[in-house]
Amino acid sequence: MPDRNQHWSDLLRRANRGDGAAYAVFLAEVAPVVRTICRQRSGGAEDVEDIVQEVLLAVHAKRHTWREADPVTPWLYAIARYKTADAGRRRRGQGGQVPIDTVAEVLPEETGDTTAARDLAQLLGRIDTHSAGIVRSVGIEGQSAGEVGARLGMTEGAVRVAYHRALVKLKDLAGAEADRAD
Amino acid sequence: MKTDDLITLLASDPAPAPAASLGLRAGIGLLAGLAVTLVLFFWLLGPRYALFRAESDPVVAAKTVLPLVLGLLAVVLTLRSVRPGAPLGRTRRAIWLVPAAGAALFLWSFVTTPEQARLRDFLGHSIPVCLPFIVVLSVPLYAGFLAALRSGAATRPVLSGALAGLAAAGIATTVYSMFCNEDSPLFYATWYSAGILIATGLGAAAGARLLRW
Repeated sequence: MPDRNQHWSDLLRRANRGDGAAYAVFLAEVAPVVRTICRQRSGGAEDVEDIVQEVLLAVHAKRHTWREADPVTPWLYAIARYKTADAGRRRRGQGGQVPIDTVAEVLPEETGDTTAARDLAQLLGRIDTHSAGIVRSVGIEGQSAGEVGARLGMTEGAVRVAYHRALVKLKDLAGAEADRAD
Repeated sequence: MKTDDLITLLASDPAPAPAASLGLRAGIGLLAGLAVTLVLFFWLLGPRYALFRAESDPVVAAKTVLPLVLGLLAVVLTLRSVRPGAPLGRTRRAIWLVPAAGAALFLWSFVTTPEQARLRDFLGHSIPVCLPFIVVLSVPLYAGFLAALRSGAATRPVLSGALAGLAAAGIATTVYSMFCNEDSPLFYATWYSAGILIATGLGAAAGARLLRW
């Protein structure tokens, strides 16, 4: 659909110039299409929504690799296919390793109408800055555990563990929060 | 977290951080790698005797020019390959002209070389230098290039790694050819190609690990 391509190019171009509203529209319109690709490519995995979120994080982390003259859809679909295949590979070869959870799992589904973005920022402020930094790098900016480890002088495994622990802590905090709200 | 909430979170940071373009980073990485390669070259090998006189013969110049063309085309293809969904374009076919030219030179040389000299020219005297040095001279170029490529997004890391290896090997072979005094295409079309293939394979293996994201 060349029409959609044009529309998305336009939105993403505006996002590149700092237009957050256009970027939100772009991501919201793209999400269902990504979901379809993830569902087909993962062979109906249970955690499709996790993969969708991984793809959106990847799109976010690598948005500088789209050139404004190029069509958006081939770029987007290539990222969606790659991340879906990657998620499948990781799941199969996980044996014994500490799993990398997604930040998306931290907050309970039923956060109601409060925006999770604000919640997450607030929660990150309540754990130690070192762990919060790792969560930001790995979970939000989409860096690999290896990269973050190299930067912080930690092994990849240590980053994975720290990230996992931080997520558990965040989950507990979010749970307590939800209980209080109830 | 709901996907909608994630979108809200991401949309709070719309513009990508300003950074040097991929092409510029790649250029810097390759130049840094080339500097190291040249240091290795002058330290361990050095230019052949009467380099410029030798290279004035087109058959000799071909062993310097062909790998250079191969390397530069491979740089272009590599950079395209680390942009998700970007087509490789016509260059993908054009690059095959280089091995075709090498094969043509080989055949021409085979026909014009007297039968009793063919095996001698084919084996030459420096295979054990040629193969390892093409690979060794490729390594700094590959490392510099790869460091830049990691800021891209390779959706086919093995392909991108192989292309980066080919690019590094092409440029490294250009450098090596200025030391090498084996001027028969029977030698260089065969053994340069073998060295380049080894480096390309190593590049693919490294890319499979280092270009994943």
